[in-house]
Amino acid sequence: MNQLNLLSPIGVTVALLPEVLLSAWILVVLLVISWRHERVEDSYLAGWLSLGGVGLAGIGVAVLWLGGAAPAGVPHMVALDGFRYGADAVILLMAAGTILLSLRYVDRQRLLAPEYHLLILLATDGMLFLAGAEDMIVLFLGLELMSVSVYVLAGFDRFRRSSAEAGLKYFLIGAFASAFLLYGIALIYGATGETNLVRIGERLASAPLSLLAGLGLGLLLIGFGFKVAAVPFHMWAPDVYDGAPTPIAGFMATGVKTAAFAALVRVLLESFPTATVVWQPVIAALALATIVLGNTVALAQQSLKRMLAYSSIAHAGYVLVAVWAGTTLGAGAVCFYLFAYSVTTLASFGILASIEHVGSRTVLVDDLEGLYSVRPGAALALSICLLSLLGFPGTLGFIGKWYLIAAAVSEGQYILPVVMVLGTLVSAGYYLPVIMAMTMKPTRSLESHRQVRFSWAARAAVAVAVAMILVFGVWPTGPLSTALKSAETLGRGTPAVLTGKR
Amino acid sequence: MTAFLAAIGYERWILQVLLAVPLIGVALVIISPTRWARVTALVVALFEFVVSLGILWTFDPSKPGLQFVTKVDWLPQFGVSYYVGLDGLTIFMVLLSTALMPLLVWGSWNQIDFKQRGFYALLLALKTGMLGVFVAMDLFLFYCFWELLLIPMFFIIGIWGSGNRRYASEKFFIYTFSGSLLMLVAIVAMVWLVGQQTGTYSFAYDHILAHAALLRPQAPWLFAAFALAFAVKVPVFPFHTWLPDAHGEAPTAGSVDLAVILLKMGTYGFLRFAIPFFPAFALSRGVTAVVVTLAVTGIIYGALVAMVQPDLKRVVAYSSVSHLGFVILGIWAATVQSVQGAIMVMIAHGLSTGALFFLVGMLYERRHTRLIADFGGVARVAPLLATAFAITAFASIGLPGLNGFVGEFLVLLGSFGRFPIPTLIATTVVVFAAAYLLWAVQRVFFNPLANPENEKIRDLGPRELAVVIPLVGAMIWMGLYPQPLLRRTESAARHYVELVQPYIDHTRPAPPAGPVAEAAR
Repeated sequence: MNQLNLLSPIGVTVALLPEVLLSAWILVVLLVISWRHERVEDSYLAGWLSLGGVGLAGIGVAVLWLGGAAPAGVPHMVALDGFRYGADAVILLMAAGTILLSLRYVDRQRLLAPEYHLLILLATDGMLFLAGAEDMIVLFLGLELMSVSVYVLAGFDRFRRSSAEAGLKYFLIGAFASAFLLYGIALIYGATGETNLVRIGERLASAPLSLLAGLGLGLLLIGFGFKVAAVPFHMWAPDVYDGAPTPIAGFMATGVKTAAFAALVRVLLESFPTATVVWQPVIAALALATIVLGNTVALAQQSLKRMLAYSSIAHAGYVLVAVWAGTTLGAGAVCFYLFAYSVTTLASFGILASIEHVGSRTVLVDDLEGLYSVRPGAALALSICLLSLLGFPGTLGFIGKWYLIAAAVSEGQYILPVVMVLGTLVSAGYYLPVIMAMTMKPTRSLESHRQVRFSWAARAAVAVAVAMILVFGVWPTGPLSTALKSAETLGRGTPAVLTGKR
Repeated sequence: MTAFLAAIGYERWILQVLLAVPLIGVALVIISPTRWARVTALVVALFEFVVSLGILWTFDPSKPGLQFVTKVDWLPQFGVSYYVGLDGLTIFMVLLSTALMPLLVWGSWNQIDFKQRGFYALLLALKTGMLGVFVAMDLFLFYCFWELLLIPMFFIIGIWGSGNRRYASEKFFIYTFSGSLLMLVAIVAMVWLVGQQTGTYSFAYDHILAHAALLRPQAPWLFAAFALAFAVKVPVFPFHTWLPDAHGEAPTAGSVDLAVILLKMGTYGFLRFAIPFFPAFALSRGVTAVVVTLAVTGIIYGALVAMVQPDLKRVVAYSSVSHLGFVILGIWAATVQSVQGAIMVMIAHGLSTGALFFLVGMLYERRHTRLIADFGGVARVAPLLATAFAITAFASIGLPGLNGFVGEFLVLLGSFGRFPIPTLIATTVVVFAAAYLLWAVQRVFFNPLANPENEKIRDLGPRELAVVIPLVGAMIWMGLYPQPLLRRTESAARHYVELVQPYIDHTRPAPPAGPVAEAAR
């Protein structure tokens, strides 16, 4: 354990190593692309440079994680614990994946502008701040940095109406959500006189939740609800995912969600651990509504992208089940599930991006008929991803789902897990037809699927994701213990499974 | 032989090898050229079968507990281990499924004419799943295998099936998936409840069984979750509606695997998990009444519906619903005889129904129809096929001297003391079984040869004889000399009965079969 004094400038700089490195790198990339932004190659250059930035931030996270950095006393401004690093790792993985999937995509879809990759980096920086925030102000800054970058990315395909609509819609609703969040922060500050999460928790621990703080908590939950697209705050998600460039839709469904969930869990467990009576019913209701609505509406979708959008809503509901638990085990489950879900979802969007035609971009489920006989690799990879989303044994998704169930059951909750598995059952109704269309139906014409091409970068990203799904699906010990340990400092109670004798 | 096997440490590695060989086979089939896929699969299957035979010698019938045990940590933080073993309950299910493997490959030899590599790879993967279900002694591992074999079956039905295959495969998947998902919650809840009270979080079967009494308050819900998963798989009436579709549309190998192994996983689940974990609730008067009513209803309903099926394959499919009703009846009667009978019916039904599906598949290959009305007088042009079919049909009916008789007789004998009226009703149904199968045999093989198409039907070829003869031989052998089977299953049956006997509700003789069964009669 290396203690860092977070009140000294050096201490804070070290504690923010990934963010600082990434921010510095962003400036470098910005400088480079302001000179070179004309040709196709420049976009690729920006992409590779951005990938380097993600790697740099990854090194920063690794240094902190392996160095065992810990705060001296109450953490100030920024958290130094496994939960942050775990979330950071997922976010960086998603950023790297998105860049790899985008390299060729932006070329093919004529979205050429090196700023695209820069914006991904900026959003990633925001996510890192959000996931590591130990202070409401840092949290809000991170959220805004992330959101503003993603607003632009969602509307990046400026020649298409749906993309412009997506950008505007996301911006308006996102701004609305940010306002809720900010108002919530203000009320909580009013009630406690603190912005530090731990100190807020200390202030609130002594007495039952005051009306002011309760209102603040409610507004915070609404703000986060918008960001993670939980029902009833999900209305924007399908349209925005549909209009945004496909890799960006994947990034929004994974990176944004991971960062927002990480912040939500931290706020609930550090600032409101004593107010479970207040927030548990709210989270339970959100989870129920999200699982039920996300899954049933996904059933009706013809477009693969909209189906994935609704499925990502449903998965947010599953994560909320573990958030509900409010324990260390629950936080670990959130962390692990976000990893499992993100890897799988990003790969699915990545495959979808390579299947899309240039120009008309909607891929219907029926359009995939016979994909297996023309592009077996793509069909197989997408099948594995969908089975993982379905939570099938042998895949990462199953381990994640099982962990979520364990987290809820350990708190004596049976209704939410049962609703979750019933939701999973419904989800078989929309994942299976995709697999069936790919493998069991003949191709429509000889020309079908010829346009499906994977650049080697996209191929590498998808291959790594599928390998992770399968390998960690069978051998999850590493990520599981990491997730469990990462949550050690959060929440009440040590996980009994860790202490329990075998 | 025994000494040799002991010398090479057979007991220690056999189950691992049995689980791994099909998976290695999957890889070999995928990398081999398409023309050689079936040969590769056959070699792997034969190897697996030969290796598995050693179990017959090394298995000690006198021990009631698990043998061939291996236990290795898998996810130690969560109490999950790779824990496998074999006992009298499962030894013949394991042997049956390894013995079936070469026959399945052989039976599909010419029938599967596209995407051969995929087919044989899935067939082998399916085998690992099946064996895994029977040998897994860790609930987490069990659940993984239980779910895993859904995928190969889903694709086998959906890609190589006939006509309505996509509907059938999706229905099969969703039905079985729905049952097992709730079981997952139940498993996690059980481990947690036991863990909280004992301080040990473990998915190991014996750990949960030893502390099953702690689960008493939650037993109804937990049992319901398990029972649903198993009842769908068996299938117990009224959860059977996926079965005729899946059986009907699957390719021959798929139907055979379904009939011989997959359905038995449900009854095995009851015997191994659902009842021993929650004996007091499972054998309470109310639950017994419901289950016995459903079992008897299934026996009658399956037989009646089989009688009017125009499609030969669906006749056999519905006969499975009827036969497995006997197994359920025997399991719930919980006497040594009835439980042994149930195990015997499981094996016998595997042999005869498997053979029937093979034979129907051979008829289909020749005429590309399975409608009974399209056939007639086939015995004249294909005497061997007709003979094999007739023997198998007799075996399925339960004619003394053939395999079906032993098990059904033991079940009826053992159940009569506990459930006199349901048993009586079930006994009469044997008549129905004779009716639907013999009637089908008559219409297919013995009526006048009216359709000129049927004159061109070839008799069984050498490859097909190689599939049929072992099965028919096993049926006759098991009918005449069931002792080796009975001897090896007895201690397991006795163990099960001793386990659950104290919980049987003896307050009054079991209730009558109830209005449903009466109405069906």
